[in-house]
Amino acid sequence: MVGFAQAARWMLACASMTAGDVAVAANPARIVSLNLCTDEYLLLTAQRRQISSISRLGADPQETPLAGRARGLATNSGRLGDVIGQSPDLVLTMGEAPQDAALARRLGVRLVALPYPQSPADVAAQVRQVAALVGHVAAGDAFAAEVAALQHGVPAAPTDALMVGGGGLAPAMDGLAAAWLRLAGFRQRQSGPVAMEALLADPPPVLLVGRYRPGQVSQPQAWAQHPALARLPSRRITVDGRAFLCGGAAMPAEIRRLQQQFPAEIRRLQQKFPAEISRLQAAR
Amino acid sequence: MKLALALLCLALALVSLAIGPVDLVAIHARDPDLARSLLLELRLPRAGLALAIGAGLGGAGAATQALLRNPLASPDVLGPSTGAALGAVLAGYFLGAGVIGMAAGGIIGALAALLLLLALAGAGAGSTRLVLAGVAVATLLGVAINLALGLAPSPFALYDLMTWLMGSLADRTLPQLLLAAPLILAGLALLVRAAPALDALALGEEVAQSLGIATASLNRRIIIAVALATGAGVAVAGSIGFIGLVVPHIVRPRVGHRPGAAILPAALAGAALLTAADIAVRLLPLDLKLGVLTALLGAPFFLWLILKGR
Repeated sequence: MVGFAQAARWMLACASMTAGDVAVAANPARIVSLNLCTDEYLLLTAQRRQISSISRLGADPQETPLAGRARGLATNSGRLGDVIGQSPDLVLTMGEAPQDAALARRLGVRLVALPYPQSPADVAAQVRQVAALVGHVAAGDAFAAEVAALQHGVPAAPTDALMVGGGGLAPAMDGLAAAWLRLAGFRQRQSGPVAMEALLADPPPVLLVGRYRPGQVSQPQAWAQHPALARLPSRRITVDGRAFLCGGAAMPAEIRRLQQQFPAEIRRLQQKFPAEISRLQAAR
Repeated sequence: MKLALALLCLALALVSLAIGPVDLVAIHARDPDLARSLLLELRLPRAGLALAIGAGLGGAGAATQALLRNPLASPDVLGPSTGAALGAVLAGYFLGAGVIGMAAGGIIGALAALLLLLALAGAGAGSTRLVLAGVAVATLLGVAINLALGLAPSPFALYDLMTWLMGSLADRTLPQLLLAAPLILAGLALLVRAAPALDALALGEEVAQSLGIATASLNRRIIIAVALATGAGVAVAGSIGFIGLVVPHIVRPRVGHRPGAAILPAALAGAALLTAADIAVRLLPLDLKLGVLTALLGAPFFLWLILKGR
């Protein structure tokens, strides 16, 4: 399971960011990314010829909206041991993996394991960090500017909304996905397992459903297609589930799309649910 | 006893319909349409599936124990449950099948597991050999599920499957009930019809044959019936263990230890037990999966049963 292997990478506490490394003049030329989220960062900041390989997921159009940029690039299994043969001069990954960190130290491979971002600002900072690592500071600045610009499109009052993933699990109210959604004008009203009965009895103005691998059926993914939800009065908005997998480099485009597509909709909702909205504003 | 069990099932089903995260009476006062929809589209499938799947597992457990003349036999030990899970996984992940496809995959998987079991054990195999072959088949199919996961296109397949395999009846649909229940009932009807033959089989294969029972055709009928009674249920609710193993042991002493006569009571007791367990998972404050609860309750009970008989 590539996803699980990746999810357990160790953050190498910026050992690779020491002064000695920064002094290296030449940009890395054989970069490897082991994780979908660092794949996205890399695809956004590095030049193609600098990239030795990205993870299998980063090139899969079912997993990331940025897969188009990965066309023709080599892919890897997401395991450090499998890419050593490519003699990378920079390996990027996300999350904690003590064994990989030890292996990288032993082999003298430069491994940068980014922590999981907690906010859009974290994501912007990480993209800038990767951009600096690959020697394209401008690309990082452009991305950070893009994230900052999203602030201008935020609707004045947030709309109560519920984003639900597979199996009726709602992402955390103070988490990364919810923070991105706030930029689109939505306030995640609940987290954890959502009881369908409770949802129907007390519907949110907006139900956000992630579209991910639509051709593939599984019990958890079938949740949003439950026939009882057909009578839910909530406005159902489909979001790109792939972008939310990382909540990373692919998010600004998705949030911009939501901002442009739904401002009128949101205003209408605010007229329809004035009590809800004012209660929310008071709570803030 | 059958009447008492049937009444118990009915009472538990009513309790199952009555409990939930929202107060249906209050909602009915506000929005009768919504209350009706909650009752018919969410609570009814849940209660109905608990009854049907529990009955299928209990009846199939009693029938496999009767057919193999072994108290250890049950759908989850011998492989049909694992086969059904594999079939549903293959149908869902690789063929993109919907509800009907997954149920069909479940039944085909259960059937394939049982046929593999018979092929491995050979014709006229003793019951010990059949059980051993069953354990091997169940293990093999379990590994095949892992293999299928390794090849699954989505990185979340493992998580999805783990959740599903733990078994749950939450938020199932009316079409799932309407699809699974008739298949399970058809399987149970076949099993009940075979009950007298199974009672005769308890006296030994030769005695049964001398009583005019064609054991080969009996084998076939039971296998198809067990596949029907378990396959669709696993595809809808995931794997729910221990009911098929434990329930026959509870009811058999009460029917004079006749294995065939135990099938119908075992089905009713299975229905009651699974409904009760599904009520318990909703009342318990922790987020426990149905299959986890049945195993948590079933395993100690089974141990107690073994120790008592020592």
